[in-house]
Amino acid sequence: MKQLFAAISFVLLLSGCSPNPPKTVYPQLNREAEVHGGLSWNPRSGRVITSWINPGGTMTTLYGDDMAVNYARSHADGAYPAGAKLGAVTWKQQEDARWFGGRIPAQVASVEIVVAGGPYERYEGSPLAAVPGSDAERAQFLLQQRAAVMP
Amino acid sequence: MTRMRFLTGTGIVLLLIGGAMQAYHPKLESPPVTAEIQAPEEVRQILRQRCYSCHSNETKLPWYDNLAPAYWVVRGDVLEGREHLNFSTIGAKPEAVQRGMLFESVNTVQLGSMPLPRYLAVHRDAGVTPDELATLRHYLETPPAPAAAPAPATAAETQFQHWIASNGKPMGTRPDTQVQPEWNGVPFLPEYKNWKPISSTDRWDNHTMRQILGNDIALKAIADGKIDNWPDGTVFAKVAWLQQPDGKGGITTGAFQQVELMIKDSKKYASTEGWGWGRWRGDDLKPYGKDAAFQNECISCHEPVAHNDHVYTAPIGGAQ
Ligand code: HEC
Ligand code: HEC
Repeated sequence: MKQLFAAISFVLLLSGCSPNPPKTVYPQLNREAEVHGGLSWNPRSGRVITSWINPGGTMTTLYGDDMAVNYARSHADGAYPAGAKLGAVTWKQQEDARWFGGRIPAQVASVEIVVAGGPYERYEGSPLAAVPGSDAERAQFLLQQRAAVMP
Repeated sequence: MTRMRFLTGTGIVLLLIGGAMQAYHPKLESPPVTAEIQAPEEVRQILRQRCYSCHSNETKLPWYDNLAPAYWVVRGDVLEGREHLNFSTIGAKPEAVQRGMLFESVNTVQLGSMPLPRYLAVHRDAGVTPDELATLRHYLETPPAPAAAPAPATAAETQFQHWIASNGKPMGTRPDTQVQPEWNGVPFLPEYKNWKPISSTDRWDNHTMRQILGNDIALKAIADGKIDNWPDGTVFAKVAWLQQPDGKGGITTGAFQQVELMIKDSKKYASTEGWGWGRWRGDDLKPYGKDAAFQNECISCHEPVAHNDHVYTAPIGGAQ
């Protein structure tokens, strides 16, 4: 008798009051990956040119202002018109807590800004601060990256 | 005394109702196992114990699940579960599809959406243990024997040359033809490529890299911190490219694979969780799927983040 009661209430619980799925995912910004600091230009205010993954667990996205993006999406030579602005943000990676199988940006490792026919700047640290010196080879590398196809 | 009598009376009524319910007991067929999932025995063992009651043709129910009305609920779950994922037949699909489903399985377990929470509420010991989860993850972290062949660089090169020559317009389409809307009517929005960056992912599970972009309404919601219920008019685009190893330990963007859209309109798209779903593949941007049912795939896989308005990405602010 007792057992039957238990079975019946149990059965009612199962059919009637099914609990909602546990809330394991809350709306959340990825704050640690934001770009903070006194930059001459915020690359993430631009549009995506391309991205890549570096050996050693960092990932980079290259952005450009209108002049740079329009050029990159119609030319393969990297000979940007003078004044076009490009910016590369490199992040440390972390496992995506919402998708085993994916890695997403963690803290910013560096920001680089290159102006065609102009200076190359590099920022590191938190908040980001300019690293003195230039690097013509690296500037050229950034200018030579082809745009990712976005039909 | 009256209390006692009342209880007995109620008990008898319940028993009678309970008994009558048993009369309706539709059958739960067990079709043959044609192609079981290909995976090491320790992985299969976990799936058999934790998932096969609903996701295989080898359903074994404990006695109390055979009592109506519990039986009716469980039977419904089994039939629906098999339709979504059947470990008794999935072995006939390509290896990549099987692995993809195992990744999705691990994720549903990690996010607490599988086994079904309403099932776990009653079957308290039916959940995947931390050790079992570690076994599943470990298997997937080990790449399959012949590493996936890198996408041919020449294909990516041809695609790129065509694209820049067409100055950013979709390829394979005559200038006067439009990219077709999805089977569910969701339109392609060519302006996606000019939206602002929200995040990026390195998807080692399927060797792709992605950029997640958002329109102005999405950007404003992020700036205002209102991301729990995205406003109508929000659109996300996710662009995926094949990973192209650079030969020096790094990975560059290879051939364009697809672009996906999620368009928020809580009224128009009420029947699909408030979002209009679309995926266009290849450089000719062919709508994905054979009919509007393609969107069930999207909705099922985004289900574990239902409490996050079905959005996976945690946006990185500051892109205005
Ligand atoms: C009590 C029945 C039940 C059990 C047990 C169960 N599932 Fe499910 N599962 C379902 C149902 C019903 C659906 C479809 C509806 C939904 O997603 O809620 C589903 C959907 C899924 C999906 C989505 C498939 C798709 O369409 O993309 C995955 C993945 C999944 N289950 C994995 C698992 C794994 C892994 C386990 C074991 C750890 C498991 N399930 C145990 C009932 C069950
Ligand atoms: C196998 C699981 C799976 C399926 C199926 C799936 N998605 Fe997603 N989706 C994800 C994950 C995980 C992310 C997070 C970004 C990433 O890792 O690529 C995501 C992100 C997105 C985003 C960016 C916004 C967000 O939610 O983060 C869009 C847009 C999107 N998906 C559209 C679609 C459409 C349209 C379909 C169906 C045609 C679809 N998805 C099917 C797993 C899936």
